[in-house]
Amino acid sequence: MKIIKYFLLLLIILNFSLTKAFSNENRILVDKISKNLRCLICQGQSVYDSQSEFALSIKLLINEKLEKGNTEKEIYDFLKNQYGDWIVYDPKFDKKTLLLWGIPLILFIFGGILIFRKVFIY
Amino acid sequence: MIFNHIGYYSLVFGFFISLYLLFFSMFLYLKGKLNNQLNLNIYYFSSLQLFLVILSFISLIISFILSDFSNETVYYNSHTTKPLFYKIAGTWGNHEGSLLLWLLVLTLFIFIFILKSNNQPKLYRLLSIFFQQIIITGFFLFLLITSNPFNYLFPIPIEGLGLNPILQDPALVIHPPILYLGYVGSSIIFSSSLAALIENNFSKIWAKHIKNWVFVSWIFLTLGILLGSIWAYYELGWGGFWFWDPVENVSLMPWFSLTALLHTISVLEKRQLLKSWTIILSISTFSLSMSGTFLVRSGILNSVHTFANDPERGVFILTFLFILIFLAVFIFFFFSKNIVNLNEKNFYWLSKDSSIIINNWFMMYFLSVVLIGTIYPIFLEVITSDKISIGPPFFNKLIVPFLIPFLLIMSFGPKLKWIKDRFNKLELDKIFFFVISILISVLIYEKLGQKNLLITILIFASIYLFLISLIELIKSRNNLSQKLSHFGFSLLILSILFNGLFSKEFSSNMKIGDQIEFDNKLIKFKNVESKKGSNYNSIIASFVIEDENKRISKFFPEIRIYNQPNIMTSEADIKTSIFQDKFFVINFLKNENYFNVRYQVKSFMIWIWISTLLIVLGGLIGLVRKIK
Repeated sequence: MKIIKYFLLLLIILNFSLTKAFSNENRILVDKISKNLRCLICQGQSVYDSQSEFALSIKLLINEKLEKGNTEKEIYDFLKNQYGDWIVYDPKFDKKTLLLWGIPLILFIFGGILIFRKVFIY
Repeated sequence: MIFNHIGYYSLVFGFFISLYLLFFSMFLYLKGKLNNQLNLNIYYFSSLQLFLVILSFISLIISFILSDFSNETVYYNSHTTKPLFYKIAGTWGNHEGSLLLWLLVLTLFIFIFILKSNNQPKLYRLLSIFFQQIIITGFFLFLLITSNPFNYLFPIPIEGLGLNPILQDPALVIHPPILYLGYVGSSIIFSSSLAALIENNFSKIWAKHIKNWVFVSWIFLTLGILLGSIWAYYELGWGGFWFWDPVENVSLMPWFSLTALLHTISVLEKRQLLKSWTIILSISTFSLSMSGTFLVRSGILNSVHTFANDPERGVFILTFLFILIFLAVFIFFFFSKNIVNLNEKNFYWLSKDSSIIINNWFMMYFLSVVLIGTIYPIFLEVITSDKISIGPPFFNKLIVPFLIPFLLIMSFGPKLKWIKDRFNKLELDKIFFFVISILISVLIYEKLGQKNLLITILIFASIYLFLISLIELIKSRNNLSQKLSHFGFSLLILSILFNGLFSKEFSSNMKIGDQIEFDNKLIKFKNVESKKGSNYNSIIASFVIEDENKRISKFFPEIRIYNQPNIMTSEADIKTSIFQDKFFVINFLKNENYFNVRYQVKSFMIWIWISTLLIVLGGLIGLVRKIK
């Protein structure tokens, strides 16, 4: 529900038009950013890959923010604020994701120790 | 109608046979007669079971061909206007049918196992059959209780609901069966490792015999993943070949485990070492294959592949999986004292044995990255109700740096001698290749717009492996299988890197008559026309791309609107050449005169497929040579 509300709001702001051509340099950045965003109303697609109205309006929004001179980081932060962490594919390193980043690395080190004990050098 | 009954009762009889075999093999095992012949009843009943499952499967196919909508599965997944080819393929394009296929492969494989394991001790064979029948019984129950493909519908509907159009595709006709052959092959490895553990049957002959099954599963699993990737590339219309989507990951996890096993089994064969580790890998490969089925079918994962899901089924598979894993772990701890070798030898650091252990180390690391990355969001959401997404950036960050040492070790590991090798003087050709690789990667680094040191080092490592394995391949034909697969792997990494670095893409909204400049070329939207297919209407757009020398290439991307179910798909127009694919796709925009147009130049695309095929070919050569 929350998503739809924001989405309608977005549409009104963007004047109901989803079909604006972006300038060349912005287009590359829009593509780059939208590849890292999840299309929230689709099944496992990025905003870049999706052609849903949600995805299209997010792309427009990114373009608008870029024209206003916002940086990439500001755009990500804005979107995370609106839609939650779920929208970005690149999870940041914090308390919540400590184990996510940690477990594979710890396993690697642990495996290394095990192997080191089995292998002799001299 | 009649086929509904034939199919259903074949399954019921098949289930009872599997109960019979379960008890009979256990009975014979406990009696433990010394003559080395397997009881003929086992042969008869296994072949009867196989026959019944084939009969059931054929009945389902016939129901699909005849569009018999009194069958619920047919009603939900087929339609009279669907081409015959896809009516047949629709048999396994749905949950019930695909499980029946699982069962078919399971019974087929145990039958082949019984025929091909003559040189093995009788008690070991009986135990393997026993464990395999536990799995088969589970699948019979699963089918009959939660996913009966032969449910009867009355009154009989006149028309079916049709198959999801994105599944109506040649690659998808063979992708699931091939992948299943890989998954199910791992069940044989699972059963026979447990049997070998209990019987302490880890002879050289056993290693050779189980190696064939490892190869078979590995070949099919690799091929299955490749087919899925090719399908996603041209059908889902995003122009990528791997998205780190949960369902893709789920097929990659058993692959890592199985690949580790493929290497370890040689150590077992040569030196009778790493027995417990072999068992652990066998158990984990099969568990991961099963959880793959569970995760895809339960709808827990948020993925493009979630075609059918039902919590009840998920609970069943999950319970079944837990029982099997519990059984396996219990057997492992109870019997592993059998195989504890008191004077278990250590490994010398510079030897083929050690390099294989290092391979396993990395494989397990990659496996853990993919595993944690796939299931972490589920657990986090359950525990803290926070939702996070884990996509390509996460996997790239954790995998790319580790690929560098992995590739470098791969460049000399296979050439080391077993047990103990000596550190030879540096060979001139290796230094030469080393320098060349550095030069090429520096050149690429200079040319790149975005400088990335890590990627450059990775390019260096993969070029080095590429050159070394190419030379090895030319030098001699010994060990062709391994050399070809490793060469294929270096080519794969290189192609993926170049694909990522040199691909260009353009995406914009256009209406008829528009032209836009991209990469010194002019993209012109000429016109659209509509066409009628057998079960869809399509809109075909024509585009012209004019380069600076006024050379023209034409593209005809298509949008299809299927009638049953009413779904729109985009069919990309792809022009493949040796060094790049040109990928053109359009999408409909609602209530607008515009189309969303996407044009991508994908570098080295075809080499990703070719290199994976080389990897598979290496496996195939290995298998053929072993059977000979």
